[in-house]
Amino acid sequence: MEKQPGEQAAAEPADSGAGGGEGGSPQVAGAQTARPEDRLTLLLRLRAQTKQQLLEYKSVVDANEEKTPEQIMQDKQIEAKIEDLENEIEDVKIAFEIKKLALDRMQLSAALKKNLEKINPKTSVLMDNMKHVLKLNKLIMKSHQESWDLEEKLLDVRKKRLQLKQASESKLLEIQTEKNKQKNDLANMENSDKIKTIQQNLQMEIQITTVIQHVFQNLILGSKANWAEDSAFKETVLQLEKNLTMI
Amino acid sequence: MSVLRPLDKQPGLNTATILLVGTEDALLQQLADSMLKEDCASELKVHLARSLPLPSNVNRPRIDLIVFVVNLHSKYSLRNVEESLHHVDTTFFLGKVGFLITGAAKADIPARGPHGFSAAGREGHCSIHRNTVVRLARTYRSPLLFCDLEVEGFRAAVAQRLVRMLQICAGHVPGVSALNLLSLLRSSENPALEDV
Repeated sequence: MEKQPGEQAAAEPADSGAGGGEGGSPQVAGAQTARPEDRLTLLLRLRAQTKQQLLEYKSVVDANEEKTPEQIMQDKQIEAKIEDLENEIEDVKIAFEIKKLALDRMQLSAALKKNLEKINPKTSVLMDNMKHVLKLNKLIMKSHQESWDLEEKLLDVRKKRLQLKQASESKLLEIQTEKNKQKNDLANMENSDKIKTIQQNLQMEIQITTVIQHVFQNLILGSKANWAEDSAFKETVLQLEKNLTMI
Repeated sequence: MSVLRPLDKQPGLNTATILLVGTEDALLQQLADSMLKEDCASELKVHLARSLPLPSNVNRPRIDLIVFVVNLHSKYSLRNVEESLHHVDTTFFLGKVGFLITGAAKADIPARGPHGFSAAGREGHCSIHRNTVVRLARTYRSPLLFCDLEVEGFRAAVAQRLVRMLQICAGHVPGVSALNLLSLLRSSENPALEDV
């Protein structure tokens, strides 16, 4: 549903619909003024308008000329292309934002300059604000610096801790290897054949000596000699009592 | 044709046409009157429509700017606008579409005033949350205007803004294009880098 439009012409309502497309500016200028200056103004304005509209149409045509590639590309290539395009868009957007910021800054500073020229700079609230802003900025910079220093210190401490940890790790590793070596050596020693034969020999000797001890003991007991009287004799007998397996 | 395209017709000489789409006929009419009262060097034409698609049997000039009017009090207006948006070509959204939200000022008035129930379809509370329309404008990358269309002064102000926007979108302002305006209208709340 559409209601009828309400029309209003800056000049007298000429048939702008009918005149559309023509360079028929005399018609649009209408009957309001016959003064050539107004007509000239109108002409110039129309010229500017037409230029702008032409620019818009041209840009649309240019935009539509970019065709998507028709040939069949592999998936990876397509993905790579898409990424490239997206990166381009990102870059353009960022550049645009930066330019806009710069433009805003320029506009702001220009307006500020004009404002300052008008107002007596010493008594205005603006100067107070600006001074306050400067103070705050200094504070901000100082605290930034302080926090940066603290972060540096923290970083140093962390580095030292890491170094210590690494040193302790290496030390513990050394200890462990040493212990393992010792264990291995011990095991080797215990398992070697030489030691087994030596041990066997030792056992043999101990047994022989034990037998000899028992023989002597029995000899002495059988001789019914009083061995407790003579200290040298006593010592010999007691020595024969020694259990050689315990040594 | 059921889809509105921005550049399919020749522009009228010194003519700028705006299309207001919304369900509140009285408000649209008032806004149209305010816009026509503004003095502007170009000839203004205001079309009012309840919803798109527009009937194709009418010979109408090239539409330079579409403004969708949503009333925060009625969900129907939002749904209507959302459905009408399907009939607009995507190239229109390069700066030639705007959203106008009305009814935000009445948010705090209780449902039953001294006059009894308000007009049909309007409750005292906003049935649409402000964020819904903000998200809608963000999805379509279009500028969002807030205005209480009932108050004369505000209406005149927004009419002035719309007239200026219309002039730019119709190409009557040298050096500024609709796309340019779109980038300039982005406030710091919704920066262009969002939703990449």
